[in-house]
Amino acid sequence: MRNRRIEEHPVLGSLRNRKAVSFTFDGKTCEGREGDTIASALLAHGIRQLRVHEESGRPRGIYCNIGHCFECRVTVDGKAGVRACMTEIREGMAVESGKVLPSPLNSSVFEADEMPRTYAEFAGKQKGDNKKEAPDA
Amino acid sequence: MIICRCEEVTLEDIRDTFHTYKCSAREVKLRTRAGMGYCGGRTCRPAVDAVLEEVTGEKPGDDLPLKVQPPVRPVSLSVLGGDGDHA
Ligand code: FES
Repeated sequence: MRNRRIEEHPVLGSLRNRKAVSFTFDGKTCEGREGDTIASALLAHGIRQLRVHEESGRPRGIYCNIGHCFECRVTVDGKAGVRACMTEIREGMAVESGKVLPSPLNSSVFEADEMPRTYAEFAGKQKGDNKKEAPDA
Repeated sequence: MIICRCEEVTLEDIRDTFHTYKCSAREVKLRTRAGMGYCGGRTCRPAVDAVLEEVTGEKPGDDLPLKVQPPVRPVSLSVLGGDGDHA
């Protein structure tokens, strides 16, 4: 993976003696430096997309980078809604990007009268399963 | 141009909603969900207020307020319930 770090900075000094820390992003192993946030470590690898919009699937990354907007939220070791711009990486940390979530009540996807009434019905429609489900006894 | 990122509401959406429904700033907000997403409108609120004022001619804080609700940041239910790791 590419490394886009500024190793020697005229004001901030040298990065060379910072310890390497490895973590995974969507299962891929990435290496950052001690003190990196998830966002900065990924940015150094050229990864800017941290999630997609839950409904539209459009790409999202850091926006404010100061912990204010929650645009950078990712799942860390199973915990959702963690801000990538505020969270320091730890050795072995498993980071997952945000994915599209089901939107069963979105009326632009279903006509009002064919709205799914149960999650099972919704999941069936998503799979293109047109069979009418037997109503619950 | 995107005004509210959490709910993906564009300037166009807000204008169209106002022109279609001829409604108050509050109703525009409820119809488009501008400023009602994950961040609680903490990020786009000044922009939403400015756009609504420009589009609807209403001053923020008129009869139907577009008020800010607590909490300041999104928090998980486990934090509120005193269970979990408080991260
Ligand atoms: S980029 Fe705004 S909270 Fe992380």
